[in-house]
Amino acid sequence: MSTVAVLSQTFNIKGGDFVNAGEPACKIRNILREIGINANVIRRVAIAAYEAEMNVVMYARQGEIRLKITPHKILLEIEDTGQGIEDITLAMQPGYSTATEEMREMGFGAGMGLPNIKKNSDIFNIHSTHGKGTRLKLTFKLNGKTKK
Amino acid sequence: MGKLKNKTFFHSIKIDHNRCIGCVQCMRYCPTKAIRVKNSKAIINKELCIDCGECLRVCEQNAIVPITTSSADINKFKYIVALPSPVLFSQFGQNIMPDQILSALRAIGFDYVYDEAWMCEMTSMAIEKYLGENREQLPIISSTCPVVVRLIQKLFPSLCKLIIPIEPPREIAAKNLREQLSQKHDLKKKDIGIFHITPCSAKLVSINHPETMKYSHLDGALSIQEIYNEIMMILKKSTEPHLMDVQNRISGIGIGWAISGGEIRGLKSSLAVSVSGVHDTIRILEDVEAGKLKNIEYLECLICPDGCVGGPLTVENRFVAKSNALRLIKTFGGKKKVDENLFMNLYRRGFFSFEEEVKPKPFPALDRNRSKAIKKIQQIDRIFKKLPKIDCGLCGSPDCKTFAEDVVRNEAKMEKCIFKKKCERKK
Ligand SMILES: Nc1ncnc2c1ncn2[C@@H]1O[C@H](COP(=O)(O)OP(=O)(O)OP(=O)(O)O)[C@@H](O)[C@H]1O
Ligand code: SF4
Ligand SMILES: [Mg+2]
Repeated sequence: MSTVAVLSQTFNIKGGDFVNAGEPACKIRNILREIGINANVIRRVAIAAYEAEMNVVMYARQGEIRLKITPHKILLEIEDTGQGIEDITLAMQPGYSTATEEMREMGFGAGMGLPNIKKNSDIFNIHSTHGKGTRLKLTFKLNGKTKK
Repeated sequence: MGKLKNKTFFHSIKIDHNRCIGCVQCMRYCPTKAIRVKNSKAIINKELCIDCGECLRVCEQNAIVPITTSSADINKFKYIVALPSPVLFSQFGQNIMPDQILSALRAIGFDYVYDEAWMCEMTSMAIEKYLGENREQLPIISSTCPVVVRLIQKLFPSLCKLIIPIEPPREIAAKNLREQLSQKHDLKKKDIGIFHITPCSAKLVSINHPETMKYSHLDGALSIQEIYNEIMMILKKSTEPHLMDVQNRISGIGIGWAISGGEIRGLKSSLAVSVSGVHDTIRILEDVEAGKLKNIEYLECLICPDGCVGGPLTVENRFVAKSNALRLIKTFGGKKKVDENLFMNLYRRGFFSFEEEVKPKPFPALDRNRSKAIKKIQQIDRIFKKLPKIDCGLCGSPDCKTFAEDVVRNEAKMEKCIFKKKCERKK
């Protein structure tokens, strides 16, 4: 019983699949609920997971979400093999978006996804290689001071 | 007030074990997986039940019994008031008008009958006013359906703060009535019994255990089904002059609250969404939690299909009832009939507001210790992998995943899975 409990799960995301989008975020939420994670943290994880997932759906061919829960934190890694982001500083700016007209009609493309993910996570890490893919590493703390 | 409040009872349905044959039908339909079948009898987990009434609808043995206020309890009061949901107006066919129905209720023996539809219109104005003043966090969610409120407390606790802090019309109406009637007839407030005529028994839970105030303003609830025949009989023979005249008091906006979309009809905002049915409600709340509906101003969720006309304790088929309600809405028109000044006066005094905010009441976690809870999730996964995943329900749990959880929670034994038994024997 001395080993630290760690739960790891992986969910696949298919680029362009708007129909099933949001399912991983939903499953993650259910797991967090069963573990008894605080409602506010669940909400923040749900928002971040959903936004990150939608970015994969919109801008990549294939990707996955890796969830890791320890007694002290929740880690979300969202990695895709997509077009990558050329200028991360620009992409992080609220309102910046390269979404197509069709995506905008579906209600996406406000350019608020990445800023929202950053706002809702305790540690935000983004790495992207143009033409290759993008990886987000998000940490949500479960103890001590967390965001509201 | 408070005379009949039973503090130990939490739910508005019970299972009659003499009738239950353990067919597992209700267990399969329960959206919160609150039902298990043990020794061929269905059992409801009180912690998980949200009183949505799905089980009531599917049970073919009539073994699931809705609980409403008994007539003995009603007769404990000196002065008895009926406060029918506008759904009642949709239950008696095309040609019966609201005042005939309200008159019939008077004739049955209620000392006073009040048209809730009028208060629905008032509440619409309160919602409108609140939406105009509060826009920091959207969407704002309706508080009308007590099951939705409970669902949010349990499954979406982070959304509690989005629930509009305005009491539903039935509560505001009862509050208003008690004040007025006690003055008018020189009665003690506690001698007045105000009873909601309801399409669902969930209201009784909200009366016995209100979430946003200390005591409900209502004293109990009777179902439309219970009172239907008596009303029908009076309607059939009635040639007497009407006891009630409300035709110029109510509008289509108030009557419209009987069906999904009714709260929105009275609003100016075009950024309002209405959803009905338990599964669609859960789905939309998931979207709200993921931040998807931030552009929507108001979200009306009603747990019953098509709204309260689809309540489990109604009589008329919900499609016909809906059509009846729509016809009435048209007849009575969309022009508001309540007095603006009276409304503003009440609103400013906070007459419509919650006394307390809705508090989160999340479902119990697998374990209070986080490490243990994580380990239990892993255990569940391991067990689940070994199960046949055909969700047969014979083990007494609704599906294989939940069975695995029950095993880990120590609420079911592995041997209950008949397929596991077979595998084991082969070895
Ligand atoms: N996984 C990704 N792969 C490639 N490009 C991305 C990825 N995620 C974001 N981007 C780029 O960064 C921009 C900003 O992303 P962000 O999520 O903030 O806004 P958006 O997706 O355009 O709009 P919104 O999220 O509000 O619907 C995107 O328009 C896109 O060009
Ligand atoms: S939708 Fe209406 S009838 Fe159905 S449970 Fe909610 S309040 Fe009751
Ligand atoms: Mg985005």
